[in-house]
Amino acid sequence: MGRILIVDDTLFMRTLLKNILFSGGHDIVGEAGDGDEAIAKYQELKPDLVTMDVVMPKVNGIEALKGIKSFDPNAKVVMCTAVGQEQMVKLAIKSGAKGYIVKPFQAPKVLEEIKNVLGS
Amino acid sequence: MAVVPVKIEKEGKWVVSKIDLQQESMTVADPVGKAIPFKSVVDLEEKKSLLIITLKGDPPQVLRIASVEKVLQAMKRLIIMSCSAYRLTAYFMSPAVRGGVMVTNATWEKGAIAVLKTSIWFVSQNKQVSVPLKDVTGIELTKREVQGKQVDVVKIDHLENSDVVTSYVLCPLSTLQILLNFLQDATKDLETSGEELDPLSAQVGMLIYSGMDSHAIENMLNISHKNLDEIYEKLLKIGLIEVVFVRKEVQLTPKGVRFITEAVKPPT
Repeated sequence: MGRILIVDDTLFMRTLLKNILFSGGHDIVGEAGDGDEAIAKYQELKPDLVTMDVVMPKVNGIEALKGIKSFDPNAKVVMCTAVGQEQMVKLAIKSGAKGYIVKPFQAPKVLEEIKNVLGS
Repeated sequence: MAVVPVKIEKEGKWVVSKIDLQQESMTVADPVGKAIPFKSVVDLEEKKSLLIITLKGDPPQVLRIASVEKVLQAMKRLIIMSCSAYRLTAYFMSPAVRGGVMVTNATWEKGAIAVLKTSIWFVSQNKQVSVPLKDVTGIELTKREVQGKQVDVVKIDHLENSDVVTSYVLCPLSTLQILLNFLQDATKDLETSGEELDPLSAQVGMLIYSGMDSHAIENMLNISHKNLDEIYEKLLKIGLIEVVFVRKEVQLTPKGVRFITEAVKPPT
């Protein structure tokens, strides 16, 4: 089980992910609402994994992913985006994302993906 | 081409038989004794290790055949390639997304798409995927990057063992348009246009999609049981949800309180 940082600009999505991950036995060490906050919280909390929304105000998820990767090249980041933005996948994978979740998602599959990434 | 062992349903009983598979037809040996040109097949369904073949006729004749996976695979491929269906050569990717999680090793496969009476089939040399039309949850003409270029694809969302799965079909745009129209017509009962949800009901819908139960939904959205029931009624009315089971909420009777109080007393 992992220590996870959830990054999303909507409280609803953060709460949903928190519930899903908590039910899977993970420890939610922090939450962030934009990319800047995500980078700062990563440096402070050093989580095992980050779930990162792509479209966010100020610094977006891809930029935040790059920021986290420059601080910790081994960081495990799973990107999370809405249907129709799948073209961001390549960019995210190229920037070092370990997994990709498309909203809306189903809890068991999310937990499976998180487990796979944590074990990789 | 090949003679394969099968079990076939005859008058409600399963009998052991053999099928001689040819390119355009198959012949079921005794005790069934029937030659089946694949062109007479109008529908093909798959249920675990069972193939349900519907033949043209009034009334249509239905054959149920069971066998090992390898045999069923060969049979399915031959039937799909020659049966009476709307069929096109295309590339397909299935699954590309499962339960919202991108399948990272998903690849485009060259094969055929066949739209039958009750299901869509994706068939390639190594793979056969059946999507019952009743399980299709969305069809859309969209763009996807293939070898660095944005190309038109048909995106099909469907249910597979309770997972929401996304598959893509890639072929020339004119053919995609025909496929899209065909599928939209075949699944028009599932159209949701004109139905609008208020934000709270939409959030409830999203939480149900994610697998949350009623208790979790009430807690997450900070709403009462009564409020949630009202939203459920609204969603039920427009056919977006169905009742799986009704859970009882209970409290102890005086007899129950006494029983529990006694039960937790240390033994004397």
